[in-house]
Amino acid sequence: MRKLKRAAALALMLVLVTTMVFSFTALADTPYVTYTINGYGQIRQTQTAYLAHATITKFGEESLSSPSDICLAPDGLIYVADSGKNSESGQARIVVGNTDGELVRIVGEGTLVNPRGVFVTDNGDIYVADRDAEKIFIFNSQGRLINEYGKPNSPLYGDGIKFQPIKLVVNAAGIMFIVCESNTNGIVEISPTEGGTFLGYFGTNYASTDLMTIIYRAILTDAQRAKMVSNIPATPTNLAIDGKGLIYTVTRGNENDTLKRLNIAGTNMIHNTDGTYASTPVAVVAGNHDNVYVADQQGYIFEYNNEGEMLFTFGGPNDGSQRVGLSTMVSGIAIDKNDWIYVLDSDRAQVQIYEPTEFTDLLHEALYLYSKGRYTEAKEPLSQVLRMNSMFDYANKAMGRSYFQEENFRQALKYARLAKDYDGYSDAYWELRNVWLKNNIMTAIILCVLLFVAYKVVKALDRRAHILNKPRKVLRKLKKNKFISNFTYAGYYMKKPADGAYGIAAEGRANWLVSSFILLIFIVEYVVDKYTRGFLLKNVMEGRYDILSDVGMVLAVMFALTACTYLVCTINEGEGTVKKIYTFFCYSLMPYILLTPIAYALSHILTLNELFLSQIIQIVTYGWIAVLAVVGLKEVNNFTAKETVKVILLTAFTALILALLIFIIYVLWAQVFDFISAIVGEGVYRLGY
Amino acid sequence: MATKKRKKIIWLSVILAVVLVAAIIATVFIVLGSRQTRLPSGNYVHTASKPAVKGRVEARDGYVKVAESDSYVLYYYEPQFSIKLENKTTGAIIESTLSEEKDDGRSNDVWLGYMKSGIVINAIRGTTNTYQVDVNTVETEIATWYTDKGIYAQIDFKGNYQFGLGVEVSLEDDDLVVRIPDESIYEKKEQTYISSISVFPFMGYTHLGDEAGYMLVPDGNGALIYLDDKEGRYANGFTGLVYGVDDGITTTGSVPTLWEKFETVVDANSVLAPIFGMAHTDDDQAYLAIVESGDERVYIEVQPNGANNINYNRCFARFLLRDVFKQPLSKGSSGVVDAVEADRLHSDLQVRYCLLSGDDASYSGMARTYRQYLLDNGLVSRQNLTYNTRVDVLGTEREEFLMGTTAVEMTSVDQLEDIYAALRREGVANVLTVYRGWQKGGLYNLPITKYKADSGIGDTRALTKLILNEAEQGNTIYLYNDALTVNATTNSSTYNVMKMVSKRTYEKKVNGQVYKTFYYLMPDKAGINMSELAKQMADKGVKNMALAGVTSELFSFSYKGNYYARTHTMDVLRDAMVEIDDDMNLILETPNMYMWKYADAMIDMPLGSSDYLYIDQEIPFLSMVLKGVVPMYSDYVNFEANKTENFLEMVESGIYPSFYVTAEDSSKLIYTNSSNLYSLEFDSYRATIAQYDRELKALSEKVGTSCITDHEILSNGLVKVTYENGVVIYVNYTEMALTADGVTVDALSYKVGE
Repeated sequence: MRKLKRAAALALMLVLVTTMVFSFTALADTPYVTYTINGYGQIRQTQTAYLAHATITKFGEESLSSPSDICLAPDGLIYVADSGKNSESGQARIVVGNTDGELVRIVGEGTLVNPRGVFVTDNGDIYVADRDAEKIFIFNSQGRLINEYGKPNSPLYGDGIKFQPIKLVVNAAGIMFIVCESNTNGIVEISPTEGGTFLGYFGTNYASTDLMTIIYRAILTDAQRAKMVSNIPATPTNLAIDGKGLIYTVTRGNENDTLKRLNIAGTNMIHNTDGTYASTPVAVVAGNHDNVYVADQQGYIFEYNNEGEMLFTFGGPNDGSQRVGLSTMVSGIAIDKNDWIYVLDSDRAQVQIYEPTEFTDLLHEALYLYSKGRYTEAKEPLSQVLRMNSMFDYANKAMGRSYFQEENFRQALKYARLAKDYDGYSDAYWELRNVWLKNNIMTAIILCVLLFVAYKVVKALDRRAHILNKPRKVLRKLKKNKFISNFTYAGYYMKKPADGAYGIAAEGRANWLVSSFILLIFIVEYVVDKYTRGFLLKNVMEGRYDILSDVGMVLAVMFALTACTYLVCTINEGEGTVKKIYTFFCYSLMPYILLTPIAYALSHILTLNELFLSQIIQIVTYGWIAVLAVVGLKEVNNFTAKETVKVILLTAFTALILALLIFIIYVLWAQVFDFISAIVGEGVYRLGY
Repeated sequence: MATKKRKKIIWLSVILAVVLVAAIIATVFIVLGSRQTRLPSGNYVHTASKPAVKGRVEARDGYVKVAESDSYVLYYYEPQFSIKLENKTTGAIIESTLSEEKDDGRSNDVWLGYMKSGIVINAIRGTTNTYQVDVNTVETEIATWYTDKGIYAQIDFKGNYQFGLGVEVSLEDDDLVVRIPDESIYEKKEQTYISSISVFPFMGYTHLGDEAGYMLVPDGNGALIYLDDKEGRYANGFTGLVYGVDDGITTTGSVPTLWEKFETVVDANSVLAPIFGMAHTDDDQAYLAIVESGDERVYIEVQPNGANNINYNRCFARFLLRDVFKQPLSKGSSGVVDAVEADRLHSDLQVRYCLLSGDDASYSGMARTYRQYLLDNGLVSRQNLTYNTRVDVLGTEREEFLMGTTAVEMTSVDQLEDIYAALRREGVANVLTVYRGWQKGGLYNLPITKYKADSGIGDTRALTKLILNEAEQGNTIYLYNDALTVNATTNSSTYNVMKMVSKRTYEKKVNGQVYKTFYYLMPDKAGINMSELAKQMADKGVKNMALAGVTSELFSFSYKGNYYARTHTMDVLRDAMVEIDDDMNLILETPNMYMWKYADAMIDMPLGSSDYLYIDQEIPFLSMVLKGVVPMYSDYVNFEANKTENFLEMVESGIYPSFYVTAEDSSKLIYTNSSNLYSLEFDSYRATIAQYDRELKALSEKVGTSCITDHEILSNGLVKVTYENGVVIYVNYTEMALTADGVTVDALSYKVGE
């Protein structure tokens, strides 16, 4: 009988062991979706980046209760700041365990009151931020209290400000960076010398002041102002330190500064405007590959690269189905040397472990090789990543940069373009252009000289033998053609708008055909420019064409402009007819027709540094068009300057009304349509089909 | 002037007359229409009469032996309506209610009443469905008679409840069959109904970690919960409605979203087969329970110790007879009241416990038993098991353009031909393809009622030609047909659309770029569409259809004020399948069990489970049941992050691989409803497809048409799969080389032995 029991115990143990060892073979349909961001800033689904691997609910026999922070020491042990309500003594403590869920030791029982942050240094010292004791406690690796720091007595700290430390990190020199509750001045920096020297505030957030706030402040009374939501800068929620001693902070509601990487001077080096930050960040940890992880309270985990670009987001809140990897209330995050992520859920009192997938491992390998300058080697994992997801633009970007480092600029250009990496594209392009220039400069000079010589020769010959008389005759004949003469008149209008407009008004220069022809050229140029201009200036997505609506848009605007202007002009006793107004509007487009090809050509040969040239051309173009249109309006209708301004304003107003009208008609029509379809539907339903 | 006016008047009166006549006709139709009788349903029998009874059973003072078979004895104790099974050879006991010896004294009276009752009912009073009715805490009268093979008991609940039922318990050789005849169920008191009936909720229970073993969870492909002490880690266990959520009743709440925009939770798998099981490995006694009738509306509950704060492991079937649903009062969702379904489920409720002992007392035994059961009862039939790599293609999608939409062409007929040519060059000879988005109007122009290809992929004739030509070359093309879904945008009327029990049109909301709302068709209309399409296809000689929607969704609904249960939907859909099954080759997407017999192959079968916290081990249970009977194809490999482990899972389970490819770049899809398909271009997958094809085909040839007889996880973690023909496959998921039976398997690899 006893034997049987022992066998049973053995079998049970076997079962238990297999459960433990093989919980990680459990490979399933992951309960959460992983997203990434593409080069256009669109959020896209991607392969699962991290799989929920295992859950630690107990360290040995010790279960946790509302734990508030987690730290993974270099030796691989997990340190959890725990309220201790589930322990025998009921006292707050630091629970130290290993990643298999075995208890190693308990630290600080009896000393700690409300530990909210824990940090372990390379030599094993345990720093604890205790909010309610208002102290920083330091234990050695065996759990013996070796030091403690209270509120700094420096006057710089601020007299009325309490010292309620909640999170902290310590750099290699032993300087503590402490986030204190309700201290909005920034991170408290304390040096261990002389029993704690206050070094100052670090990485302060600034309150944003927008225009509305300034206006409010100016007009509100003091009492009203007091009622306004206070405009105090947010305190960082949490912080982390990386191997180089750079400090990362996360701050709730700080928009584009939600995640900061601060150098020694406290300057933020991450500028991400994609809006891909956690909305309720609670913790941050630096990764092993210049990457950084942010945990959101709701359970989302974000991974960013060293430039603050989002690589992945995954996890998320539990939907009630009790599935591994979904969280209730996250309060801490840690990472080990294999990129396994440890997420502390204070509500469930557990540590959830996520394991990177093959996909993520490849990406990390590439990041690592790239950061070490081994660009050629980095390309192999990158191309594997791209084989798994060709739309993973971050890999395209890194691929491009790797090729750039290898001085394979053609490939670098290709990948930069795929990744929408404008800087990379510009750099690669600069190099390519340089090479081209070097190779072709002589040819170009010779060509110029030859052209110049040819010009001189032709001119000389013409002077002697009048060889150009025949072409000249043809030209003169052509100019007499009404169409061509009107077309050249558009050029004249462009140079002398006042005279030109008079011609339209009084000398019969208004012409439907020529105007429409100009409009046609405009449309063609507009469309060609929009879709095929140089990559750096392109603001439509690659490979996407919507030409029909572009043409429709131009025509609609032209029609509306002409109609509105005509209506307004007529009631203001303007002399313009529809034809004249249409003509001068179309003629006003001439600068665009002439200058856009230049801007277009430039867009193909400029790099980011020189783009301003193209922009200047654009400004000139639009300014010129505006001048032409205004002058044209004035002259064609024979208005005074004052009248012109009035008519312009009125036209703008009319256009607005027209837009509104169209909108209303559209909405009403949709309503009518819905109504009819509902009646038909109801009828069909009643009849029982 | 006057004539003009007169003309106007004449016109007006003509129009008025027309409107009047139309109104009268409409009224007549409405009046007549509402008198129409119930929709016809199929000729399936769901009920049988009460059994013939003999003398009374006297079992008031303790367990009495009531039946005996070659290997088991059945005992009965009337006051708790409790039974006990004894294995005559081993002496192993299976109890159905909590015994005094195993009571740890930690449960309250309500729970004790539950644990010591063989039948527990959840009752509805008014619109509240939280009343527990058991034989201990509610005044109950039980009368029991002998039958041929066991007993029949009439249980009447008195007092506030006034309802009752009869339970037949028979010992048929090695099977214990428990049946509640539909005709025996009665509800006498007004506003008091039976909501659900739990049958022997403590069958084979164990206390904490006292006994070794596990419970079988029908989640995904299969999973186990060990009978070890869970130390209170899990507040709930597994509760799964067989054949998935009832969309005719359940209104889904809000789902978690990232930045209030992106959905982040992936739906859990639905329960494909009405089974559960329990194995006590100490005394080699196990059972596999199969819900044989009433399976269209039953919950499978598998609860580990700690769940609901009680310390017992248990699994059981809970039949849902009548549900409470949310009845909206206005068109918006502001006013909602609880309402009770107008009628209850009308099927016999029957569970067969297949008792397993010795070598069979394991999940391998359960799988073998279930396979034999399915084959014996004609619920599956052996299909052609030739290996194919599945390479699906997407034809056309739609994106918004001007006021409407425009086609996004991804893979045309010609391009598909090129893909096949390329694969042939790589040595991939036999490919099974599901052509998605082939129909006019693209992937989401639903329902498909005509055999008409989208012009973006070529015309119908080209498609027909391709299918017939490729068939000769060894490539089989199936046309994808989601026969249930209606696109609300392309088919805007409420025509034939499924209305929920609350009489509101069911709407499936998706976070799509173009189409946001979909409806479901009523089952009979879905059937008509299917057979019409099948007829048109067959006329052209095209016989391959891949069916979705109707294969995996099951709902109650209302039509013209009448309530129709899931039974009706199931029968009508089965009839529709019968009608086209003879003419067509059907492959079914994630089919529910009652659809299995129509499947030439099953696609999108789950490889794993839904990752519930309380799952201890995933096992390829469905594969073990169906391998060697019906070919199964996995979900798409494209979107897998762990390719190696995914591949090994296919090796382990014998499921064939699936790819989803397009000729064009998948970035073209980002403004379509398929924007979540991020990696499709054929060129990136050409080599991978060839590699999978080579390896898995070779493996498949070794295995041949035999079934899996055994599946074990060896003590060092190596997975060992044994086939009927003696082939053994070892799969190593760990990152170090492992040895067993003298075979060494490299890390993350597999090996075939004999």
